[in-house]
Amino acid sequence: MQCIVVTPERTVFDRPADFVALTLYDGEIGIAPQHAPMIGRLGCGEMRVAADGQTDRYYVEGGFVEVLDDVVSVLTRHAVAAGELDEAVIAERLFAARSRRATNPEAIEIRDRAVFQARAQLHVARRA
Amino acid sequence: MAKARTLDRRRRSISGIRKITRTMELISTAQFKRAMTRATTAAAYTERVTALVGHLARSGLEVSHPLLEPRPEPKLATLLVLTGNRGMCAGYNAGVIRQGVARYRELATVASDVALEVSGKRGISAFRFRKIPIDVEFTHFEDKPSFAEVDVLAERYLQDFTAGKLDRLDVAYTRFKSVSHQQAVVETLLPFHVGQVDNLSYKGHETQYEFLPSAAGILDEVVPMSFRVRLFKCFLDAAVSEQVARMVAMKAATENADEMISHLSMAYNRARQGQITNELLEIIGGADALNG
Repeated sequence: MQCIVVTPERTVFDRPADFVALTLYDGEIGIAPQHAPMIGRLGCGEMRVAADGQTDRYYVEGGFVEVLDDVVSVLTRHAVAAGELDEAVIAERLFAARSRRATNPEAIEIRDRAVFQARAQLHVARRA
Repeated sequence: MAKARTLDRRRRSISGIRKITRTMELISTAQFKRAMTRATTAAAYTERVTALVGHLARSGLEVSHPLLEPRPEPKLATLLVLTGNRGMCAGYNAGVIRQGVARYRELATVASDVALEVSGKRGISAFRFRKIPIDVEFTHFEDKPSFAEVDVLAERYLQDFTAGKLDRLDVAYTRFKSVSHQQAVVETLLPFHVGQVDNLSYKGHETQYEFLPSAAGILDEVVPMSFRVRLFKCFLDAAVSEQVARMVAMKAATENADEMISHLSMAYNRARQGQITNELLEIIGGADALNG
């Protein structure tokens, strides 16, 4: 099974994998070889790629996953290796997001999303 | 000796300039290649997203989204103008500025409030010179705009558009068509238009996809994503076009300098020879006078 991760800036990786776990909008999905064709909306969270008995972890934020012909393509706007996340920076961002003033439903939604993203990132960073 | 020396000085200063233009040409060639690679990656990404929209459309979904809804009477408009931080790239900046100013005047007659956002020092000074107030200035988008930087802008526009603080977003930039063809254009990015979905050819795969959560749920995310990528593509196109323009301009400048140097060399040699002949004649004349 081939696994491709692309952001608008670069192809993060394109390599064979035995198993891929991704955070979808409502929870985690595991994709094993020969998975049925699928298009899924990604949430914010961890992506695990297992190959040759070794598992690499990434943080992926938003986007889509498409499974077709034993190829898992992940289109996301942001993908970083879990080891590159800085916990202190993220904690600061979370604090800033939480203390943002929101006075109408749209602003509240925007704020909640920022808080949610920061929390997901922090979660991945702490597991590293 | 005065004339020959002036010519020589000019020749030296021109060969100095030639060195600069030649270096600039080499630099922009290298930067162009790098920018081009980035633009190609972004294009591949856009293609995949468009293909995704195609799959959605084929599943019988009506393509509709708040970002796609036209706003017939835009009140709050924003114009984003993408220029370079530096000159020495022929008509690149002038072209974008001309388009930008024209669209700004046009928007001012339609909308009650037009916010002007300019990226690049050249554009900023041009609008200042025309006494058009700039609301936001950016100078940090160099030849390598990153998606994260552009995404900050995209996020703000999306938020404003959803919250009703923005009705229309226009972007003036230079579209990169090929190495020999770039064009300054103004595009309306919000309300957004998804690329021509109907024209997509569905060759080969007649795959039945499983959509998670649903085709409509995917669409909710695809549209803002396409907008972000489209805006990013504008920045990338602008960066690539700037490098191409500079490359071409500097190549022409180097060639002109070469030509000028050869002209001046010839003039200098002639002047020098003339002087020597003159001196010889004087010596011969003086010797004749003494002997006479």
